[in-house]
Amino acid sequence: MSIISEISENLQKGRLKTVKELVNSAIDEGIDPSKILNDGLLSGMNIIGEKFKNNQVYVPEVLVAARAMNAGIELLKPLLNKEKIKSKGRVCIGTVQGDLHDIGKNLVKMMMESKGLEVIDLGTDVSPEAFVNTAIEKSCHVICCSALLTTTMDVMSEVVKCAEKAGIRDKVKIMVGGAPITREFCERIGADCYTSDAASAADAAVELCAVQ
Amino acid sequence: MNNRERILNILHYKDVDRFPAVHFGYWEELLQEWAEQGKIPKDLAVGNYDGSQKERELDYLIGWDCNWYKTVGFNYNLDPPFERKLLEVLPDGCRRILNEDGIIERVKPGTVSIPSEDDYLLKDREAFETLFKPKMQYSPNRINFDFFRNFSKTRPNDVTVGIHAGSVIGNVRNMTSVIGMSYLMYDEDEELFGDIIDTYADMQYKCLEAVLNTCEEFDFAHYWEDICFKNGPLISPKNFEKYCAKHYQKRNDLLHRHGIDIISLDCDGVTEQLLPVWFETGVNVMFPIEVGVWGDQFEPARKKYGKGMLGVGGMDKTALRKDKAAVDKEIERMKRLASLGGFIPCPDHRLMPGTKFELVQYYAEEIKKIKL
Repeated sequence: MSIISEISENLQKGRLKTVKELVNSAIDEGIDPSKILNDGLLSGMNIIGEKFKNNQVYVPEVLVAARAMNAGIELLKPLLNKEKIKSKGRVCIGTVQGDLHDIGKNLVKMMMESKGLEVIDLGTDVSPEAFVNTAIEKSCHVICCSALLTTTMDVMSEVVKCAEKAGIRDKVKIMVGGAPITREFCERIGADCYTSDAASAADAAVELCAVQ
Repeated sequence: MNNRERILNILHYKDVDRFPAVHFGYWEELLQEWAEQGKIPKDLAVGNYDGSQKERELDYLIGWDCNWYKTVGFNYNLDPPFERKLLEVLPDGCRRILNEDGIIERVKPGTVSIPSEDDYLLKDREAFETLFKPKMQYSPNRINFDFFRNFSKTRPNDVTVGIHAGSVIGNVRNMTSVIGMSYLMYDEDEELFGDIIDTYADMQYKCLEAVLNTCEEFDFAHYWEDICFKNGPLISPKNFEKYCAKHYQKRNDLLHRHGIDIISLDCDGVTEQLLPVWFETGVNVMFPIEVGVWGDQFEPARKKYGKGMLGVGGMDKTALRKDKAAVDKEIERMKRLASLGGFIPCPDHRLMPGTKFELVQYYAEEIKKIKL
């Protein structure tokens, strides 16, 4: 098995320490950092994402895989910056105002990054204005809003209204997701996209960025 | 026929004069909202918990018959708990607090939200052995023996009362956080994760055994887990079986030996993939079957497991925030589920802020009209 395949395999098992060792070895062997990233780390994470979509793996497996991916990327970062890797699009993501939960949001962020998107993480308890201002300042293609609570999900409609008021509604797509969110809710508030899981959200964001 | 008889008869497929109007409590913020609207007296809005006297008064005012979640039990928490402590106030006003389970949570004053988990203490073997294991030991102090000795004389006879059988994994998740549980189980120390589950479960078994040896006056048993979410379980079914099945089996066998044949389990989210372990080890009541927020369902489980699978819950509580038409639609659905037998309609979780008082009254009255 090649070292790149080993990275992918161990990432899928969530083996943090092994992934770090293998990435370091691959760097020492002079393997192209973008190959380590794309064919090792991101490829492994994409497999996990697909399995998650199909209920073949569960939240814990995704969390440990994502941690291993992030650790590998940290090692590659100084080398990748030099190569100026082009992202597939820019997304600002956050948990809406009044809501402090971020496991779901972080999963979506990691899945999006594994698809080659640049993700600006606004954290939790994010106001509609902060979403929209970031989208303007950083020229984001997509605003992605997360909520865990039924009491906070309505903030998402404020994000849509705020984007309309700022005159950027035709320039940015708004994605919504989280425990209480449904497709019907997404349509009702005038958002553009709802997906039921993190991996599908990443796929959808890539598509939305591509058409902008 | 009283409500205890009604509930037990339905769950044993026997006749009833009518269906009971059963609920699962409220968000405290809703009771305050209702008090401010003048719908309920202000004193009923505070200190109102499952099965309390205040709740009974509120039941009467609204028209409910009872709360399903009326249980008594032993202390299955960490004992003593960690001392709740403010660690840090962040620039955005959020507070980082060490909670009773050893989790560092982030809360924002003035925000109605479940706290989020920032960090946790139970990360390795040393933390387990020194900080947690001593707090997971059996002690008679975990049980109010006097209460149970007198329970047959003090318990209400017109409503069901369950023995709380504790938790196999939900509380461990509360001590490790979802993230910590995942890291331990899959990468860092799966043997330690097994030891945590086993230690914690053994203590609860001893407590349950001691309670049941003192008193057998229970109508049902009840677990709390909350280990699922919108897309299914927060643990793979394979690992769930590996770590947890033996403990459900042991505890449920004990309950059966003491004549308890209704074993309910509270798990939010979509529970389908964990049902095999629960059902095969003796848990036979799905509760609260979160239809509205998470899309859980009772009918597929009944089809798959047959009449041995019972249910309490399944009514989309969000309809009670909407209008009469939405409530009527749910009542019709409840009638259909009730006709299957072995099913008691109940809002699918605690009623939340924005719930309309009059709609709840209406729903409770209509449910009582269901006859088989």
